[in-house]
Amino acid sequence: MGYTLSQLLAVIAFALLALAAVAQVVYLLRRERRLDPFSHYLLAAASALLLAGIVERSVRIRFVAVTNTFESLVFFAGVTALVLFLYRLLAGERLLPLVAFGGTVISLALLAIASSPAIPKEVLPPIPALQSYWLVLHVTLSFIGESFFIVSFVAAVLYLASRDEEQKKTLDRLTYTAIGIGYPIFTAGALIFGAVWAQAAWGSYWSWDPKETWALITWLVYTAFLHTRLVKKLRGRLSAILSIVGFAFTVFTFFGVNYLLSGLHSYG
Amino acid sequence: MQALYRFFKSVRLAVVLLLVITALSILATLIPQGQEATFYFQNYPPALARLVTALGFTSFFQSWLFLIPCALFFVNLAVCTVDRIAGRLRRGTRRRYGPDLIHVGLLVLIVGALFTTWGRREGTFYLGKGDSIDLPLGYRLRLLDFVDQRYEDGRPRDWVSTVEASRQDRVVVASYPIEVNRPLRLRGLRIYQTNFTREEVALLRDESGQLAAIHGGEGFRWENSLLVFTGIEAERAVFERWEGHTLAEELRRAPSQPIGQYTIIELSSRELTGLKAVKDPGFVPVIAALVLVAAGLSLTFIQKRKDKET
Repeated sequence: MGYTLSQLLAVIAFALLALAAVAQVVYLLRRERRLDPFSHYLLAAASALLLAGIVERSVRIRFVAVTNTFESLVFFAGVTALVLFLYRLLAGERLLPLVAFGGTVISLALLAIASSPAIPKEVLPPIPALQSYWLVLHVTLSFIGESFFIVSFVAAVLYLASRDEEQKKTLDRLTYTAIGIGYPIFTAGALIFGAVWAQAAWGSYWSWDPKETWALITWLVYTAFLHTRLVKKLRGRLSAILSIVGFAFTVFTFFGVNYLLSGLHSYG
Repeated sequence: MQALYRFFKSVRLAVVLLLVITALSILATLIPQGQEATFYFQNYPPALARLVTALGFTSFFQSWLFLIPCALFFVNLAVCTVDRIAGRLRRGTRRRYGPDLIHVGLLVLIVGALFTTWGRREGTFYLGKGDSIDLPLGYRLRLLDFVDQRYEDGRPRDWVSTVEASRQDRVVVASYPIEVNRPLRLRGLRIYQTNFTREEVALLRDESGQLAAIHGGEGFRWENSLLVFTGIEAERAVFERWEGHTLAEELRRAPSQPIGQYTIIELSSRELTGLKAVKDPGFVPVIAALVLVAAGLSLTFIQKRKDKET
C-alpha cells in the first residue's frame, strides 16, 4: 500500500512539532526560562501542512475531508498547533513556555494516534449519512473548541503544580480565558450543530447515544467550571480540577466512547 | 417562601446540580440502556441487578432519578434568570444580556424536550416503485422512483426516493427527491430516507393447487425440518433446511422444481426504499431554543471582549 500525500505531510508536520518541542525544552532548561524565539513558527508550519493535507483530501473526495477518524485527528492536531501559534502571536509573554510545550506534546500525541495501523487512512468519499454541511460544522467547531480546552487543561495542571502566586494568577486567568473562547465554539459545534445534523439525518435531534451523552457530560463540567468563577469560594483549586476533568472527558468522548461503549458514532 | 427563593437563586446549587446530573449520566452510559430485566440479572451480581432495575437505570433518561434533578435544575435556572433580569431592571446599570439569552434558551430547550418526550411519534415503512401508503394527519405518500447509487467500491453513495405527497386527495407536493440528510418537510410531518432493501418473493403451489407467496426470511415446516427461504441467487431460490437448531443443508431450486410439499411457480424480486415518518411537537421549540443559546453565546463573547478593551 502506498502512502497518500496527506500522510506524507503529516509525517513532516510530526517532525516539525517534535523539533518545536525540543526547542521549547532547551529554552525551559535555561536558567532565565525565556520563551524561545522560533518554536511557534515551527508550529505554524506544521499546522499549515496538516490543514493542507485536509484540503488535498477534500479536493479528492469532493467533500470537506473530516469524515473519518484519521482526518479528524489530523484536523484536531493542525488546529491545536494553530491555536498555540495564535496564542503566542497575540498573547505574547502571557502564554507561558510550559503551556506551549504541553500543547505541543498533545498535538504530537494526536498525530501519533492518527499514525496507528488500526486507523484506516484511505481517501474515501463519505457514506450518505455523512454528506451534510451540518456535519462539517459539527466536527470542525467541536475540534476548534476542544483545542482551546487543551490550552486550559495544560494551564490548569500547571496551576495545581505551581507554588508561585504570581504565576498561579496568570495560569488561573489563562485557564479561564481559554475555556471562555472554547466553550461557545464547542457548544455550537458539538451540541447545537450536532443536534441539527442528527435532526436532518435521522429525524431526531437527540437519542441519548453514549457519545452524545458524553459530549453533554463534558459540556456540563465546563458549564459548572464557568459558574464556579461566579462564587468566590469555589474559584482556584476547584476551577482547575474541573478544567482538568473537563478535558479528560473531552478525550474520553472522542476516543473512549468509540472503543469502550457502542453507539451511533461508529465513524469518529 | 423567601427562603425557598433564596435557595433556588443560588449559583452554588446550580454547580451542585450540574455535577449531580453529570455523575448520574456517567453511570447511565456504563450500563446498557433499554434492555429487558433478565439481561441485567444475567450480566450483573443479583444485588446490583436489583438496584439497577429498581432505580430505573435500565432507561435512565426517562427515570425519576434523572428527571427530579432536572426538574430542580429547571426551577433553579428559572429563578436565577428571573432574578438576574429583575435585578438589572431595578438597578438599570450592567447590560449583559448574553447569559440571560442562554438561560432562557435552555429553559425553552427543556420544555421542548418534554414536548418531544410525550408527543414524538415515528414509524418506518417500505415502499416499492408505484406503492402508496396512508400516513397520519391525512397524508398519503406515493413512491414515484427510487435510486440506489453506489461508489465504485460498492459502498452506498446516495439513496434517493422521489415521492408525491397528497392530503385529502389534493396533491401538496408533486415530486420531491428525499435523500439522507434531505427530508421531505410537510406541515406537521417529516419524511426521512433511512435505508433500502430488496424484497424477494417465491410463489409456491401445494399438491391441491393452492397458491402461497413466501417472502425472504420466512419459512415453513416440512416433515421433521424447517425450510427457510433466504433469497434468490442466479434465478434460483435459496432455502435452508434446519433440523432443530442445526443447519442441515442448503437447497437451490429453480421455478417448476419442487421444494418440500410445494412446487415453485415463480420467483420475483424488487427494490424497496425504507422511509421514516416523524411527528415531533418539540421540534420547533427546540430549534428556537438552540438559536437562542447560540445568539446568547455570541453576545456574551462579544460583550466580554468589549469589557476587556474598555
